[in-house]
Amino acid sequence: MSPGLRRYIVVRILSTIPMLLILVTLVFFILRVIPGDPALAVLREGASEEQLQSFRVATGLDQPLHIQYLKFISGVIRLDFGESMTRNVPVIDEIKTFFPATVELALAAMSVTATVGIFFGVYAAHHRKKFSDYSIRVSSIILYSVPIFWLGIMLQMVFGAQLGWLPVAGRLDAGNTPEATITGLYTIDAILTLDKDLFVDAVRHLVLPATTLGLVLAGIFIRLTRANMLDVLQQDFIVAGRARGLKERVLVYQHGLRNAFIPIVTLLGLQVALLLAGAILTETTFSWPGLGRLVVDRIYDRDFTTLQGTILFFALIVASVSLIVDVLYGFLDPRIRY
Amino acid sequence: MSSTTPDWTPLVDQNIGIVGRFFRGRIWYGAEWYITVFGASILVAVLLITLLAPIIAPHDPNAFVGAPFTAPGDGLQALLVRKGESPIQPGDDLAGDHLADRAIGAQRNKNGDAWTKEMGISRRRYNKQEEMIVALERGEVDIIFIAEELVDDALAANPWLEMVQQGIGRRYLLGTNNLGQDSTSRLIWGARTILLVAVMSAVFSSFVGIPLGLTSAFVGGKLDKVLSLVLDSIYSFPGLLLAVALAAMLGPSLINVTIAISVVYVPTFFRVVRGQVLSIKENTYIEAAHSLGARPHTILFRYVFPNVIPSVVVLFSLNIADAILTSAGLTFIGLGLPPDIPDWGCDLTKGHQYVVAGHWWMITFPGIMITLVAAGFSLLGEGLSEILNPRLVKS
Repeated sequence: MSPGLRRYIVVRILSTIPMLLILVTLVFFILRVIPGDPALAVLREGASEEQLQSFRVATGLDQPLHIQYLKFISGVIRLDFGESMTRNVPVIDEIKTFFPATVELALAAMSVTATVGIFFGVYAAHHRKKFSDYSIRVSSIILYSVPIFWLGIMLQMVFGAQLGWLPVAGRLDAGNTPEATITGLYTIDAILTLDKDLFVDAVRHLVLPATTLGLVLAGIFIRLTRANMLDVLQQDFIVAGRARGLKERVLVYQHGLRNAFIPIVTLLGLQVALLLAGAILTETTFSWPGLGRLVVDRIYDRDFTTLQGTILFFALIVASVSLIVDVLYGFLDPRIRY
Repeated sequence: MSSTTPDWTPLVDQNIGIVGRFFRGRIWYGAEWYITVFGASILVAVLLITLLAPIIAPHDPNAFVGAPFTAPGDGLQALLVRKGESPIQPGDDLAGDHLADRAIGAQRNKNGDAWTKEMGISRRRYNKQEEMIVALERGEVDIIFIAEELVDDALAANPWLEMVQQGIGRRYLLGTNNLGQDSTSRLIWGARTILLVAVMSAVFSSFVGIPLGLTSAFVGGKLDKVLSLVLDSIYSFPGLLLAVALAAMLGPSLINVTIAISVVYVPTFFRVVRGQVLSIKENTYIEAAHSLGARPHTILFRYVFPNVIPSVVVLFSLNIADAILTSAGLTFIGLGLPPDIPDWGCDLTKGHQYVVAGHWWMITFPGIMITLVAAGFSLLGEGLSEILNPRLVKS
C-alpha cells in the first residue's frame, strides 16, 4: 500500500465522520418530533400513569432532549446503539438478526442487475443508433419507472397465486429452519452444510424478491453500462483490433467489456443507496425479514432506539461501500494514483 | 451556375410556422425528438385526464357504487323468472312501473341489489345465489337479479329458469374495489393527486435547492463547504428512508407528504446547480463582467443563472418521475396520503391483500398508470437533456 493511498483512505474515513454525524443528528431529532408516544405504543391503551412513567424512566425518555441526544451520540462513538425500546434486546442484536436477510437479498438482486444490465448495456452500445439501441434505452427508462413493489406484486400474482410455481413470502417454508446458521445467508449456509433441501427451499424463496429488485435497478444499470461501453468502444485499441481483423464479437465482449468493467463495477457499488431503498419496498412486499422490514415495523411501534440505530447502520453501509469501491478502484486501475 | 436556383430548399428560411418547425425537430434531433415527444404525449394525455376528471369520471371516486370485487367489464344484470310465468315482457321499460310491485329477489352486496336500491325498488335480499334460486322455485319471489356472466351456468343447472331481460344496470369498465368503489373513477381522480404531489414536491425542492446551489457555488468559501457537507450527507442516504422518517413525523396529509418528498430531493438540485455554476464561473465573460464592475447579483442573475436553466429543466422532469415513485412507495409502506384521497399508490396497497383471491384488476391498472406517468416524465427529461445540452452528449 503506497503512502498516498494510505493517506487517501484515512482522509476518506475522517471525512465520513461529519457526514454520519449530520445524518444521525437529523434522524434523532426527526424521530423525537414524530407524533405518538413509545410508552403508549409498548404498554398499549389503558396503562396507568405510573406504568407509563416507569417505562419512560427505564428508557431515558423522561430526560431532556439534549441529554438524550448526548447519551445517544456517546453510545454511538463506543459502537453501542443502546437497547430496543419495545423489545428488551440490544439494538445491535436486532440488526444482527435482520441484516443477513437483507445481505442475501441485496447480493442476489445485484447479480440479477449485473447480468441483465451488462448484457443489454453492452448490446445497446455495440448497436449504437440502431433500432435495438433505441428500444433498449426506452425500455430501460420504462423499467426504472416501474414501482418496485408493484412489479413484486405482479410477480407474486403470476408466479405465486396463478401458476403456483414459487412461494411469495418469507425466506423459507414454514417449519423449515436451518440447523446451523453460519453466515445467516441461508443459501450459503446450505452449501456449507451440504443441505440440498434447505438450499432448494432458500433459492425458491429468493427468486421472486431478487428478480423484482434486480430488474428495476437494471433499468439504471443498462444506461450506465451503455455509456461506459461507448467510451471504450471509441478508443484507439478497438480501432487497432478491428484493423488487425479481430472478430467483432471478440472485440466487443472481450477486449471492450474487460476495459469497461472497472467503471461498471464502480457504478454498481455506488448504487448501494438505491439498492437499500429498493430493498425496503421489496422486503415489505415479500414479507422478507430484513432491515427494511425492521424499520417499517418499528416506525409503527415508535421504537426510537432501534430506528436510529438501524438508520445509522444503513448510513454506515452506504459510506463504507462507497469507500471500499473507491479504494478498490485505485487498486484495479493502475492509472489512478492517490 | 450562379443564375440557377438551388435545387434544395433551406430548412430554416422556410415559412412553415410553429407546428411545422416542431415537426422539423425530428430531422435535427433524430431519435431524441421521438423520445421527447413520446414522453410529452403521455404527459399531455394524463394532464387532460387530470383537468377533465370531473367530466369524464363516471362516478364519485369515494362513493359506494356497486358490488365489491366486480371484475372489469362486468356489472350488468339479467332477470331470471320461472319458465313461462314471466310477469314482464322482454321489451318492458324497467324504470317504469313494471318492477314496482313485483316480488323481486336480489343477492346481498351484488350489483342487482345496488341497482334496485338506487332505483327505489323493494326487493328481498338473499345471502347466496342458490338460496335466491330456491326462493324463486318455491314462488317466494317472481323475478331475480343475477350477474350476466353467471346466467349461462344458472340456466344449465336449473332448466326450469328463463331469462327475460339482460343488460340492466351499468358496466364497470375497470371493475370495482373491495369497498365497491368504481376503479375507473379512482384511476381518473388519482391522476390529479399524483401529479399534484409530484409536481409540487419538485417545485418545493427546486425552490430551495436552486438558490442554495447558486449561492453556495457563487460565494464559495466556508459557506460552500458547510452546505455541501450537509446536503451531500442527505444525498448519500437512501432517500426513501428519509422520506419515511419525515412522513411519519409530519403525519398523513397531502401537503405533508409533498414536503417529506421534497426534502429528499433538495440535494439533487443543489448538486447539479452548484456543479454548473462552478464551471460557468470560470468563463471569460464572467471575468469580463467582473472587470467592467458589474455587481455580484447582476452577474449571478444575468450571466450565470440563465446558463443553469437547461439542466434545471431536465432535472425537474426527472425529479418528478422519481417523486411519483417515492410517493407511491410511501403510501405502500402506510405513511402516505389519508385514505379519503383517491391515489394510485393507495389503491395498489389495498389491492395487495386481494392478490391471492384473484382480484387482479385492483393492482394491475394503478400500477400501469404509475409506470406510465413516471416513464413519461423520465422520457421527457431524457430527451430534453440531449436536445438542450447537445455538447454533453458523449456518443
